[in-house]
Amino acid sequence: APVFQYAGKAARRKDRVFVWGFSYSGALGVPSFVKPDAGWKKPRRIQPTPYRLETEEKISSAACGYGFTLLASNTTDITKVWGMGLNKDSQLGFQRSRRDQTKGYEYVLEPSPIPLPLEKPQQTRVLQVSCGRAHSLILTDSEGVFTMGNNSYGQCGRKVVEDEIYSESNLIHQLNEFDSRVVQVVCGQDHSLFRTKRGAVYACGWGADGQTGLGHYNITSVPTKLRGDIAGVNIIQVSSYGDCCLAVSDEGEVFGWGNSEYLQLASVTETTQVNVPRHLPFKIGKIKEAACGGTGNAVLTEEGNIFVWGYGILGKGPNLTETAVPEMIPPSLFGWSDFSSDIRVARVRCGLSQFAALTNRGELFVWGKNLRGCLGTGRMEDQYFPWRVTVPGEVVDVACGVDHMVSMVKSF
Amino acid sequence: VRGPRFRRLKIGAGHRLDVKASGVFVLGIGHGNKLLTDLYNCHLTKVYTVKGLFGKATDDFSDTGKLIEKTTFDHITREKLERIVAVIQGTNHKALLMYSNIDMKTQEAYELAVKGLIRPMEKSPPVITAIRCLQFELPEFQLEIHCLHETQQYLRKIVHEIGLELKSSAVCTQVRRTRDGVFTLDDALPRTQWDLRSIQGAIRNCRLKVETELEKTL
Repeated sequence: APVFQYAGKAARRKDRVFVWGFSYSGALGVPSFVKPDAGWKKPRRIQPTPYRLETEEKISSAACGYGFTLLASNTTDITKVWGMGLNKDSQLGFQRSRRDQTKGYEYVLEPSPIPLPLEKPQQTRVLQVSCGRAHSLILTDSEGVFTMGNNSYGQCGRKVVEDEIYSESNLIHQLNEFDSRVVQVVCGQDHSLFRTKRGAVYACGWGADGQTGLGHYNITSVPTKLRGDIAGVNIIQVSSYGDCCLAVSDEGEVFGWGNSEYLQLASVTETTQVNVPRHLPFKIGKIKEAACGGTGNAVLTEEGNIFVWGYGILGKGPNLTETAVPEMIPPSLFGWSDFSSDIRVARVRCGLSQFAALTNRGELFVWGKNLRGCLGTGRMEDQYFPWRVTVPGEVVDVACGVDHMVSMVKSF
Repeated sequence: VRGPRFRRLKIGAGHRLDVKASGVFVLGIGHGNKLLTDLYNCHLTKVYTVKGLFGKATDDFSDTGKLIEKTTFDHITREKLERIVAVIQGTNHKALLMYSNIDMKTQEAYELAVKGLIRPMEKSPPVITAIRCLQFELPEFQLEIHCLHETQQYLRKIVHEIGLELKSSAVCTQVRRTRDGVFTLDDALPRTQWDLRSIQGAIRNCRLKVETELEKTL
């Protein structure tokens, strides 16, 4: 009898990208959702379950902004970053329109390469990308940070030009003057944060809620170092998505600044805007990672537990809508039981009003407001406690946006 | 007066067990049949140990069926099997919550989910609550499966699907029920003990357990 071989000993696990959420902005990167290829097909407004995005390249990092997505791979080829979605402020660079060579696209429906003005395009690698409301940041390993998009509040790190037209602009600014190499970039709604290798944090952009943390409520157009409780502390992670920011130090302490209207920083102060980083004295153990959403925050401790606080759907049922002190989400909701007691949460990410958690087994749990199907559960209702998203593969990383999410998955 | 003690016995069976499978099989005698329906409505989980073999695929998913195809299996490692098993457990956990028909938006649904007490309380498709790999020696492997509302043929189909997912094929060699609700292998009587005295003793031992379980659920 013939013996079939479907996979040999050297079969490798492939990397895949799955997207789901609101598709009319083009942020999902599937043009057939917006403009169907056959006349009788209807456009798909919302993709409620994970849909595979076919790319030939291995995507190493992704970021979701407010209606647009950036995908980046750390190759040494010439095209390293692809973007799709809204491009009304050139947050995806200048996409030359094929119909009219002088104009650019306002909505990019497919992952299109973004040309970067690199000095050594075949040596530099893109480490990480980050997207805000209308601007994006690209971090490279040797040529600093590239910023593009809206600069009306100085969030791109260059001087604000009055009445500047941001659409169809091919201006990409390069930022290089930091005290050491930039290791992480984070975009808030209209501000940008840079974390350097020495553990310092720089900020620029809008500051009316104190989210730049520089001691004033004005706009900053040049990245400036943050002081306050952070001065001298080695910060290992920064996070922000709305107007509140959190930073984690190497000793497991968490610092916060920015908007506090939703009790995010109410454990240290009663004011609703905090413009200097303050230490948040939580006695929940050593903190490994923090994630900021629009109204709620989440932290991950060393033991693998998630603590949430703030306002909105926090993940502990419909009764808990706001709290100033972090509350733990029971690990049994993430699949922990006497049967499988080694399940821990490995990563936590926040969208504007959603939370996502990745376990060490590669399972993705989401909870929060289900805005236009962004949770990926297949239902349109809000999710009040962590719910598993069925993805055919082991989820390695996830990026949350306002109404869509992108995940990097390894096949079985 | 002489003669057999019991002339006519009404015997009812609990959850069905296949001809090819083995293990704990619950029977009710006489008035115990009424307890059988109550136990069925409790919807308790059953535990099976399932042995499988990689490399073959048959039409009825067990090793006595007609051979359909043979495949290689040397690329399979214990790690890959455990990954697949974890995914099966995850999707079945989701199905568990969905078939239980509780409104997910209420606070009590959240409390029950934290404690892990949500399960479907009416007729539902088969759901696996927990699954893990006990032994793995190519080409054989052994799984422990906790499930609800299943049939043994469904378990054999799961073994076949695990084989497909690992890009090979698998057949099920043995299905053995080790627990049915409250009745474990220790309470079960082997064939040598199928006489009146041991049956009476077994009924007496299990009575307390059955009563506490029924009170807890209903």
